[in-house]
Amino acid sequence: MLCDKCGKNTATTHIKRIINGVVTESNLCSECAEKSGSLYKGGLYNMLASVLGDVPELKINENQKKCPVCGATFSEIAKTGKMGCAECYKTFGAELMPYLKRVHGTVKHTGKIPNSAPLAVRPEPENADTLRMEMNRLVSEERFEEAAVIRDKIKKLEEKENE
Amino acid sequence: MSSWYACGAPEDDIAVSCRVRLARNVSGLPFLSKMTDEQRRELMERVKNALLESNTPYAKSLKFIDMSAVPHNEAWAMVERHIISPEFAESTLSRAVILSDDESISIMIGEEDHIRIQVILGGMQLEKAYDIAERLDAFLYETLHFSFDKDLGFLTECPTNLGTGLRASVMLHLPVTESDGEIRHISETVGKIGFTVRGMYGEGSGAKASMYQVSNQITLGISEKSAISNLNIITRQLIQKERVKRESLEQLKAEDICGRALGILKNCRILTNEEMMKLLSAIKLGVGMGIIEEKAMPVKLLIEGQPHMLMKKYGSIAENEYDIYRATFMREQLSGIKEV
Repeated sequence: MLCDKCGKNTATTHIKRIINGVVTESNLCSECAEKSGSLYKGGLYNMLASVLGDVPELKINENQKKCPVCGATFSEIAKTGKMGCAECYKTFGAELMPYLKRVHGTVKHTGKIPNSAPLAVRPEPENADTLRMEMNRLVSEERFEEAAVIRDKIKKLEEKENE
Repeated sequence: MSSWYACGAPEDDIAVSCRVRLARNVSGLPFLSKMTDEQRRELMERVKNALLESNTPYAKSLKFIDMSAVPHNEAWAMVERHIISPEFAESTLSRAVILSDDESISIMIGEEDHIRIQVILGGMQLEKAYDIAERLDAFLYETLHFSFDKDLGFLTECPTNLGTGLRASVMLHLPVTESDGEIRHISETVGKIGFTVRGMYGEGSGAKASMYQVSNQITLGISEKSAISNLNIITRQLIQKERVKRESLEQLKAEDICGRALGILKNCRILTNEEMMKLLSAIKLGVGMGIIEEKAMPVKLLIEGQPHMLMKKYGSIAENEYDIYRATFMREQLSGIKEV
Protein backbone atom coordinates (compact mmCIF):
# COMPACT_ATOMS: atom_id res chain seq x y z
CA MET A 1 0.00 0.00 0.00
CA LEU A 2 1.27 3.45 -0.87
CA CYS A 3 1.27 6.39 1.52
CA ASP A 4 -2.05 8.29 1.55
CA LYS A 5 -0.24 11.58 1.63
CA CYS A 6 2.73 11.53 -0.74
CA GLY A 7 1.60 8.54 -2.80
CA LYS A 8 5.27 7.65 -3.38
CA ASN A 9 6.58 5.64 -0.46
CA THR A 10 5.17 2.47 1.02
CA ALA A 11 2.80 3.13 3.91
CA THR A 12 4.31 1.69 7.06
CA THR A 13 2.18 3.39 9.69
CA HIS A 14 -1.51 3.17 10.22
CA ILE A 15 -2.51 6.24 12.16
CA LYS A 16 -5.77 6.48 13.97
CA ARG A 17 -5.84 9.96 15.35
CA ILE A 18 -8.40 11.13 17.79
CA ILE A 19 -8.01 14.84 18.05
CA ASN A 20 -10.53 16.38 20.41
CA GLY A 21 -12.63 13.33 19.78
CA VAL A 22 -12.48 13.57 16.00
CA VAL A 23 -11.34 10.25 14.59
CA THR A 24 -9.38 10.13 11.37
CA GLU A 25 -7.54 7.14 9.99
CA SER A 26 -4.71 7.19 7.52
CA ASN A 27 -1.92 5.03 6.15
CA LEU A 28 1.31 6.96 5.90
CA CYS A 29 4.96 6.39 5.15
CA SER A 30 7.32 7.08 8.03
CA GLU A 31 8.30 10.47 6.63
CA CYS A 32 4.74 11.75 6.28
CA ALA A 33 3.73 10.17 9.60
CA GLU A 34 6.36 12.26 11.29
CA LYS A 35 5.08 15.39 9.67
CA SER A 36 1.46 14.55 10.36
CA GLY A 37 1.46 16.60 13.56
CA SER A 38 0.68 19.61 11.42
CA LEU A 39 -2.04 17.96 9.37
CA TYR A 40 -4.89 19.81 11.03
CA LYS A 41 -3.87 23.40 10.76
CA GLY A 42 -7.37 24.52 9.85
CA GLY A 43 -8.37 24.14 13.46
CA LEU A 44 -10.96 22.06 15.15
CA TYR A 45 -14.01 23.88 13.99
CA ASN A 46 -13.03 23.58 10.37
CA MET A 47 -12.37 19.92 10.77
CA LEU A 48 -15.61 19.29 12.59
CA ALA A 49 -17.47 21.40 10.08
CA SER A 50 -16.00 19.25 7.35
CA VAL A 51 -17.14 16.10 9.13
CA LEU A 52 -20.62 17.51 9.58
CA GLY A 53 -20.69 19.26 6.26
CA ASP A 54 -20.16 16.44 3.79
CA VAL A 55 -23.71 15.18 4.16
CA PRO A 56 -25.83 14.98 1.02
CA GLU A 57 -29.19 15.19 2.83
CA LEU A 58 -28.06 18.39 4.47
CA LYS A 59 -28.96 20.41 1.43
CA ILE A 60 -32.49 19.04 1.47
CA ASN A 61 -32.87 19.98 5.13
CA GLU A 62 -31.56 23.44 4.65
CA ASN A 63 -34.69 25.53 4.61
CA GLN A 64 -36.70 23.94 7.33
CA LYS A 65 -36.18 22.86 10.93
CA LYS A 66 -35.00 25.54 13.33
CA CYS A 67 -34.07 25.13 16.96
CA PRO A 68 -37.13 26.45 18.89
CA VAL A 69 -34.89 28.04 21.53
CA CYS A 70 -32.05 29.71 19.68
CA GLY A 71 -33.19 29.55 16.06
CA ALA A 72 -30.11 27.74 14.75
CA THR A 73 -30.50 25.58 11.64
CA PHE A 74 -28.55 22.41 11.04
CA SER A 75 -26.74 23.87 8.06
CA GLU A 76 -25.60 26.74 10.29
CA ILE A 77 -24.26 24.24 12.80
CA ALA A 78 -22.58 22.21 10.06
CA LYS A 79 -20.96 25.33 8.72
CA THR A 80 -19.53 26.58 12.03
CA GLY A 81 -19.19 23.33 13.96
CA LYS A 82 -20.85 25.13 16.86
CA MET A 83 -24.16 24.26 18.45
CA GLY A 84 -26.43 27.20 19.22
CA CYS A 85 -27.72 26.02 22.60
CA ALA A 86 -28.32 22.92 24.69
CA GLU A 87 -31.71 22.43 23.00
CA CYS A 88 -29.98 22.05 19.61
CA TYR A 89 -28.76 18.64 20.73
CA LYS A 90 -32.39 17.57 21.10
CA THR A 91 -33.67 19.34 18.00
CA PHE A 92 -30.97 17.95 15.72
CA GLY A 93 -30.33 14.75 17.67
CA ALA A 94 -31.21 12.48 14.76
CA GLU A 95 -29.05 14.43 12.29
CA LEU A 96 -26.15 14.60 14.71
CA MET A 97 -26.12 11.04 15.94
CA PRO A 98 -24.17 9.41 13.08
CA TYR A 99 -21.54 12.14 13.30
CA LEU A 100 -21.23 11.96 17.05
CA LYS A 101 -20.61 8.25 16.62
CA ARG A 102 -17.97 8.96 14.04
CA VAL A 103 -16.35 11.58 16.23
CA HIS A 104 -16.39 9.85 19.61
CA GLY A 105 -16.91 6.22 18.66
CA THR A 106 -19.70 6.04 21.24
CA VAL A 107 -22.63 8.17 22.29
CA LYS A 108 -23.00 7.06 25.87
CA HIS A 109 -21.65 9.30 28.61
CA THR A 110 -19.96 7.26 31.34
CA GLY A 111 -18.47 10.05 33.41
CA LYS A 112 -19.90 11.79 36.38
CA ILE A 113 -23.52 12.77 36.70
CA PRO A 114 -24.44 15.99 38.44
CA ASN A 115 -26.64 15.73 41.49
CA SER A 116 -27.84 18.42 43.79
CA ALA A 117 -25.42 16.84 46.24
CA PRO A 118 -21.72 17.23 45.39
CA LEU A 119 -20.84 15.52 42.16
CA ALA A 120 -19.33 12.11 42.46
CA VAL A 121 -17.45 10.07 39.96
CA ARG A 122 -19.64 7.08 39.32
CA PRO A 123 -18.09 3.65 38.91
CA GLU A 124 -17.60 2.54 35.31
CA PRO A 125 -20.76 0.74 34.17
CA GLU A 126 -20.11 -2.87 33.38
CA ASN A 127 -20.07 -3.72 29.71
CA ALA A 128 -20.06 -7.11 28.05
CA ASP A 129 -16.54 -6.77 26.65
CA THR A 130 -14.83 -6.00 29.94
CA LEU A 131 -16.88 -8.67 31.68
CA ARG A 132 -15.87 -11.22 29.08
CA MET A 133 -12.21 -10.40 29.60
CA GLU A 134 -12.67 -10.83 33.32
CA MET A 135 -14.48 -14.14 32.77
CA ASN A 136 -11.67 -15.48 30.56
CA ARG A 137 -9.12 -14.49 33.15
CA LEU A 138 -11.02 -16.37 35.86
CA VAL A 139 -11.38 -19.41 33.62
CA SER A 140 -7.64 -19.44 32.92
CA GLU A 141 -7.10 -19.41 36.68
CA GLU A 142 -9.59 -22.27 36.98
CA ARG A 143 -11.89 -20.17 39.16
CA PHE A 144 -14.97 -21.58 37.47
CA GLU A 145 -17.59 -20.64 40.05
CA GLU A 146 -16.70 -16.96 39.91
CA ALA A 147 -16.54 -17.16 36.13
CA ALA A 148 -20.05 -18.57 36.04
CA VAL A 149 -21.37 -15.57 38.01
CA ILE A 150 -19.86 -13.26 35.42
CA ARG A 151 -21.21 -15.37 32.56
CA ASP A 152 -24.72 -14.86 33.96
CA LYS A 153 -24.10 -11.13 34.21
CA ILE A 154 -23.06 -11.02 30.54
CA LYS A 155 -26.19 -12.94 29.60
CA LYS A 156 -28.41 -10.49 31.47
CA LEU A 157 -26.63 -7.51 29.90
CA GLU A 158 -27.01 -8.89 26.41
CA GLU A 159 -30.67 -9.67 26.96
CA LYS A 160 -31.19 -6.07 28.07
CA GLU A 161 -29.42 -4.78 24.98
CA ASN A 162 -31.54 -6.91 22.71
CA GLU A 163 -34.81 -5.71 24.22
CA MET B 1 1.90 34.57 46.87
CA SER B 2 4.30 33.13 44.34
CA SER B 3 3.08 31.46 41.17
CA TRP B 4 2.60 27.72 40.77
CA TYR B 5 5.66 27.55 38.53
CA ALA B 6 8.01 29.29 40.97
CA CYS B 7 8.39 26.45 43.45
CA GLY B 8 9.51 22.84 43.28
CA ALA B 9 6.97 20.03 42.70
CA PRO B 10 6.82 16.22 42.62
CA GLU B 11 8.69 14.60 39.70
CA ASP B 12 9.67 18.01 38.41
CA ASP B 13 13.01 16.72 37.13
CA ILE B 14 10.95 15.77 34.07
CA ALA B 15 7.29 16.71 34.59
CA VAL B 16 6.99 20.47 34.13
CA SER B 17 3.29 20.94 34.81
CA CYS B 18 -0.06 19.24 34.65
CA ARG B 19 -3.34 20.80 33.68
CA VAL B 20 -7.01 19.86 33.95
CA ARG B 21 -9.79 21.70 32.17
CA LEU B 22 -13.56 21.24 32.46
CA ALA B 23 -15.95 22.75 29.90
CA ARG B 24 -19.37 23.71 31.28
CA ASN B 25 -22.43 25.62 30.10
CA VAL B 26 -25.11 27.13 32.31
CA SER B 27 -28.56 25.75 31.53
CA GLY B 28 -31.22 28.17 30.34
CA LEU B 29 -28.79 30.31 28.35
CA PRO B 30 -27.83 29.85 24.69
CA PHE B 31 -24.22 28.92 23.92
CA LEU B 32 -21.76 31.75 23.47
CA SER B 33 -22.03 32.18 19.71
CA LYS B 34 -25.76 32.94 20.15
CA MET B 35 -25.46 35.13 23.20
CA THR B 36 -26.07 38.85 23.30
CA ASP B 37 -23.63 41.12 25.09
CA GLU B 38 -26.21 41.60 27.81
CA GLN B 39 -26.45 37.85 28.35
CA ARG B 40 -22.65 37.59 28.46
CA ARG B 41 -22.52 40.27 31.14
CA GLU B 42 -25.26 38.51 33.08
CA LEU B 43 -23.32 35.26 32.87
CA MET B 44 -20.17 36.97 34.15
CA GLU B 45 -22.09 38.38 37.13
CA ARG B 46 -23.73 35.08 37.96
CA VAL B 47 -20.47 33.13 37.95
CA LYS B 48 -18.75 35.87 39.92
CA ASN B 49 -21.43 35.89 42.60
CA ALA B 50 -21.64 32.11 42.72
CA LEU B 51 -17.95 31.87 43.59
CA LEU B 52 -16.75 35.03 45.21
CA GLU B 53 -19.70 35.58 47.52
CA SER B 54 -19.73 31.99 48.58
CA ASN B 55 -18.30 30.15 51.53
CA THR B 56 -16.09 27.88 49.45
CA PRO B 57 -12.60 27.67 50.92
CA TYR B 58 -11.27 28.90 47.59
CA ALA B 59 -13.32 32.11 47.57
CA LYS B 60 -10.79 34.09 49.59
CA SER B 61 -7.94 33.41 47.20
CA LEU B 62 -9.94 34.17 44.04
CA LYS B 63 -10.25 37.46 42.20
CA PHE B 64 -12.51 38.44 39.34
CA ILE B 65 -10.90 40.11 36.33
CA ASP B 66 -13.05 41.74 33.65
CA MET B 67 -10.96 41.15 30.52
CA SER B 68 -12.29 44.24 28.75
CA ALA B 69 -10.36 46.28 31.33
CA VAL B 70 -7.13 44.34 30.75
CA PRO B 71 -4.68 45.85 28.23
CA HIS B 72 -3.71 43.70 25.26
CA ASN B 73 -0.11 43.22 26.44
CA GLU B 74 -1.20 42.12 29.87
CA ALA B 75 -3.68 39.65 28.35
CA TRP B 76 -0.86 38.12 26.30
CA ALA B 77 1.35 37.92 29.38
CA MET B 78 -1.48 35.84 30.88
CA VAL B 79 -1.33 33.55 27.85
CA GLU B 80 2.41 33.16 28.40
CA ARG B 81 1.72 32.17 32.00
CA HIS B 82 -0.79 29.56 30.72
CA ILE B 83 -3.70 31.23 32.52
CA ILE B 84 -5.87 31.92 29.46
CA SER B 85 -5.98 30.77 25.85
CA PRO B 86 -4.70 32.91 22.95
CA GLU B 87 -8.26 33.09 21.51
CA PHE B 88 -9.52 34.40 24.82
CA ALA B 89 -6.79 37.06 24.90
CA GLU B 90 -7.62 38.20 21.37
CA SER B 91 -11.40 38.27 21.78
CA THR B 92 -13.11 41.66 21.87
CA LEU B 93 -16.35 40.36 23.41
CA SER B 94 -17.35 40.67 27.06
CA ARG B 95 -15.49 38.01 29.01
CA ALA B 96 -13.81 37.53 32.36
CA VAL B 97 -11.46 35.30 34.25
CA ILE B 98 -11.53 34.33 37.90
CA LEU B 99 -7.99 33.75 39.10
CA SER B 100 -6.45 32.38 42.29
CA ASP B 101 -3.52 34.09 44.06
CA ASP B 102 -0.96 31.59 42.82
CA GLU B 103 -2.66 31.53 39.40
CA SER B 104 -3.10 27.76 39.58
CA ILE B 105 -6.89 28.13 39.29
CA SER B 106 -8.30 30.08 36.38
CA ILE B 107 -11.94 30.07 35.43
CA MET B 108 -12.55 31.58 32.03
CA ILE B 109 -16.05 32.94 31.50
CA GLY B 110 -17.00 33.40 27.86
CA GLU B 111 -14.23 31.44 26.15
CA GLU B 112 -15.53 28.67 23.86
CA ASP B 113 -17.99 27.52 26.50
CA HIS B 114 -19.71 29.57 29.20
CA ILE B 115 -17.25 28.36 31.79
CA ARG B 116 -13.88 26.72 31.52
CA ILE B 117 -12.48 25.63 34.84
CA GLN B 118 -8.73 25.20 34.62
CA VAL B 119 -6.33 24.00 37.27
CA ILE B 120 -2.62 23.94 36.52
CA LEU B 121 -0.03 22.63 38.97
CA GLY B 122 3.71 22.13 38.78
CA GLY B 123 5.18 18.66 38.30
CA MET B 124 3.11 15.50 38.30
CA GLN B 125 -0.02 16.21 40.36
CA LEU B 126 -2.82 15.24 38.00
CA GLU B 127 -5.13 13.78 40.63
CA LYS B 128 -4.76 16.81 42.83
CA ALA B 129 -5.45 19.13 39.90
CA TYR B 130 -8.56 17.15 38.96
CA ASP B 131 -9.69 17.08 42.55
CA ILE B 132 -9.58 20.87 42.80
CA ALA B 133 -11.33 21.29 39.43
CA GLU B 134 -14.04 18.88 40.49
CA ARG B 135 -14.69 20.67 43.76
CA LEU B 136 -15.07 23.96 41.90
CA ASP B 137 -17.32 22.26 39.36
CA ALA B 138 -19.53 20.77 42.07
CA PHE B 139 -19.67 24.07 43.85
CA LEU B 140 -20.62 26.04 40.74
CA TYR B 141 -23.22 23.46 39.79
CA GLU B 142 -25.09 24.03 43.03
CA THR B 143 -25.94 27.60 42.11
CA LEU B 144 -25.67 27.67 38.33
CA HIS B 145 -26.85 24.25 37.08
CA PHE B 146 -25.08 23.12 33.95
CA SER B 147 -26.63 21.74 30.77
CA PHE B 148 -26.43 17.99 31.02
CA ASP B 149 -27.87 15.04 29.14
CA LYS B 150 -27.74 11.51 30.47
CA ASP B 151 -26.45 10.11 27.18
CA LEU B 152 -24.33 13.00 25.93
CA GLY B 153 -23.01 14.15 29.29
CA PHE B 154 -22.17 17.81 29.79
CA LEU B 155 -23.40 19.71 26.75
CA THR B 156 -20.74 21.85 25.08
CA GLU B 157 -20.81 24.29 22.21
CA CYS B 158 -18.48 22.11 20.16
CA PRO B 159 -19.66 18.48 20.04
CA THR B 160 -16.04 17.29 20.29
CA ASN B 161 -16.05 18.17 24.01
CA LEU B 162 -19.31 16.39 24.87
CA GLY B 163 -19.35 13.95 27.75
CA THR B 164 -16.98 14.81 30.55
CA GLY B 165 -15.82 18.08 28.96
CA LEU B 166 -12.49 17.12 30.46
CA ARG B 167 -9.17 17.82 28.86
CA ALA B 168 -6.17 16.78 30.94
CA SER B 169 -2.57 17.25 29.96
CA VAL B 170 0.94 16.90 31.30
CA MET B 171 3.95 18.82 30.04
CA LEU B 172 7.16 16.82 30.05
CA HIS B 173 10.77 17.79 29.47
CA LEU B 174 12.20 15.00 27.34
CA PRO B 175 15.56 16.10 25.92
CA VAL B 176 17.20 12.68 25.86
CA THR B 177 14.15 10.83 24.52
CA GLU B 178 13.97 13.50 21.85
CA SER B 179 17.63 13.41 20.89
CA ASP B 180 17.70 9.66 20.27
CA GLY B 181 14.61 9.92 18.08
CA GLU B 182 12.30 7.79 20.20
CA ILE B 183 9.80 10.60 20.65
CA ARG B 184 8.39 9.97 17.15
CA HIS B 185 7.73 6.35 17.94
CA ILE B 186 6.06 7.35 21.21
CA SER B 187 3.79 9.88 19.48
CA GLU B 188 2.55 7.19 17.15
CA THR B 189 1.90 4.65 19.88
CA VAL B 190 0.18 7.09 22.20
CA GLY B 191 -1.97 8.39 19.32
CA LYS B 192 -3.40 4.93 18.80
CA ILE B 193 -4.85 4.81 22.30
CA GLY B 194 -6.63 8.14 22.26
CA PHE B 195 -3.88 10.44 23.52
CA THR B 196 -1.84 13.05 21.72
CA VAL B 197 1.77 14.09 22.16
CA ARG B 198 2.67 17.44 20.76
CA GLY B 199 5.65 19.70 20.98
CA MET B 200 5.13 22.81 23.06
CA TYR B 201 6.40 26.20 22.03
CA GLY B 202 6.75 24.95 18.48
CA GLU B 203 4.85 24.50 15.25
CA GLY B 204 3.47 21.07 14.44
CA SER B 205 5.41 18.17 15.84
CA GLY B 206 8.65 20.04 16.49
CA ALA B 207 9.36 21.14 20.04
CA LYS B 208 11.48 23.94 21.29
CA ALA B 209 13.07 23.39 24.68
CA SER B 210 12.26 19.66 24.32
CA MET B 211 8.90 20.23 25.99
CA TYR B 212 6.13 17.84 25.04
CA GLN B 213 2.51 17.88 26.06
CA VAL B 214 0.57 14.64 26.44
CA SER B 215 -3.21 15.00 26.56
CA ASN B 216 -6.42 12.95 26.35
CA GLN B 217 -8.62 13.35 23.29
CA ILE B 218 -11.76 11.35 23.97
CA THR B 219 -14.40 12.88 26.24
CA LEU B 220 -17.51 10.81 25.55
CA GLY B 221 -17.73 7.20 26.68
CA ILE B 222 -14.83 7.40 29.11
CA SER B 223 -15.08 8.44 32.75
CA GLU B 224 -13.01 11.24 34.26
CA LYS B 225 -11.34 8.71 36.51
CA SER B 226 -10.26 6.50 33.60
CA ALA B 227 -9.08 9.42 31.48
CA ILE B 228 -6.95 10.78 34.32
CA SER B 229 -5.57 7.41 35.34
CA ASN B 230 -4.70 6.46 31.74
CA LEU B 231 -2.90 9.75 31.27
CA ASN B 232 -1.09 9.17 34.54
CA ILE B 233 0.07 5.73 33.46
CA ILE B 234 1.29 6.94 30.08
CA THR B 235 3.18 9.94 31.40
CA ARG B 236 4.76 7.97 34.22
CA GLN B 237 6.10 5.53 31.66
CA LEU B 238 7.52 8.38 29.61
CA ILE B 239 9.13 9.86 32.73
CA GLN B 240 10.64 6.52 33.65
CA LYS B 241 11.98 6.07 30.14
CA GLU B 242 13.61 9.49 30.15
CA ARG B 243 15.17 8.79 33.56
CA VAL B 244 16.68 5.52 32.41
CA LYS B 245 18.08 7.22 29.33
CA ARG B 246 19.54 9.99 31.48
CA GLU B 247 21.35 7.43 33.59
CA SER B 248 23.34 6.32 30.58
CA LEU B 249 24.33 9.90 29.85
CA GLU B 250 27.89 10.56 30.97
CA GLN B 251 28.00 12.87 33.98
CA LEU B 252 30.89 14.84 32.51
CA LYS B 253 29.01 15.35 29.25
CA ALA B 254 25.88 16.49 31.09
CA GLU B 255 27.94 18.94 33.14
CA ASP B 256 29.53 20.23 29.97
CA ILE B 257 26.16 20.81 28.21
CA CYS B 258 24.68 22.49 31.27
CA GLY B 259 27.79 24.53 32.09
CA ARG B 260 28.07 25.89 28.57
CA ALA B 261 24.41 26.93 28.58
CA LEU B 262 24.84 28.65 31.93
CA GLY B 263 27.96 30.41 30.65
CA ILE B 264 26.12 31.88 27.69
CA LEU B 265 23.03 32.91 29.68
CA LYS B 266 25.14 34.62 32.33
CA ASN B 267 27.16 36.59 29.80
CA CYS B 268 25.05 37.19 26.73
CA ARG B 269 23.98 40.65 25.59
CA ILE B 270 21.53 39.65 22.87
CA LEU B 271 19.32 36.59 23.27
CA THR B 272 16.58 35.39 20.92
CA ASN B 273 13.57 33.55 22.29
CA GLU B 274 14.62 30.43 20.43
CA GLU B 275 18.15 30.41 21.82
CA MET B 276 16.82 31.06 25.31
CA MET B 277 14.59 28.00 25.07
CA LYS B 278 17.43 25.81 23.89
CA LEU B 279 19.75 26.98 26.66
CA LEU B 280 17.12 26.75 29.43
CA SER B 281 16.35 23.24 28.25
CA ALA B 282 20.02 22.34 28.80
CA ILE B 283 19.89 23.97 32.24
CA LYS B 284 16.71 22.09 33.09
CA LEU B 285 18.46 18.85 32.20
CA GLY B 286 21.29 19.90 34.52
CA VAL B 287 18.81 20.60 37.33
CA GLY B 288 17.17 17.23 36.73
CA MET B 289 20.57 15.54 36.99
CA GLY B 290 21.55 17.36 40.17
CA ILE B 291 24.14 19.63 38.57
CA ILE B 292 22.29 22.83 39.48
CA GLU B 293 20.23 23.15 42.64
CA GLU B 294 17.52 25.70 41.84
CA LYS B 295 14.77 23.30 40.85
CA ALA B 296 12.07 25.65 39.62
CA MET B 297 14.38 28.17 37.97
CA PRO B 298 14.48 26.98 34.33
CA VAL B 299 10.70 26.84 33.90
CA LYS B 300 10.24 30.13 35.71
CA LEU B 301 12.75 31.82 33.40
CA LEU B 302 11.25 30.14 30.34
CA ILE B 303 7.90 31.72 31.18
CA GLU B 304 9.23 35.08 32.34
CA GLY B 305 11.54 35.40 29.33
CA GLN B 306 8.58 35.43 26.91
CA PRO B 307 7.98 38.76 25.09
CA HIS B 308 4.91 40.03 26.98
CA MET B 309 6.29 38.94 30.32
CA LEU B 310 9.41 40.97 29.59
CA MET B 311 7.21 43.92 28.73
CA LYS B 312 5.35 43.49 32.01
CA LYS B 313 8.68 43.78 33.82
CA TYR B 314 10.46 46.45 31.79
CA GLY B 315 7.57 48.46 30.37
CA SER B 316 7.16 49.15 26.68
CA ILE B 317 9.85 47.50 24.55
CA ALA B 318 10.61 48.34 20.91
CA GLU B 319 10.38 45.49 18.41
CA ASN B 320 14.17 45.24 17.95
CA GLU B 321 14.96 45.43 21.67
CA TYR B 322 13.35 42.25 23.00
CA ASP B 323 16.50 40.20 22.57
CA ILE B 324 18.53 42.78 24.49
CA TYR B 325 16.06 42.95 27.41
CA ARG B 326 15.84 39.16 27.45
CA ALA B 327 19.61 38.89 27.77
CA THR B 328 19.63 41.49 30.56
CA PHE B 329 16.88 39.62 32.38
CA MET B 330 18.76 36.33 32.20
CA ARG B 331 22.00 37.89 33.42
CA GLU B 332 20.17 39.44 36.37
CA GLN B 333 18.37 36.25 37.27
CA LEU B 334 21.32 33.92 36.91
CA SER B 335 24.11 35.98 38.42
CA GLY B 336 24.09 34.04 41.70
CA ILE B 337 23.49 30.58 40.22
CA LYS B 338 26.36 28.12 40.52
CA GLU B 339 26.93 24.58 39.49
CA VAL B 340 27.06 22.10 42.37
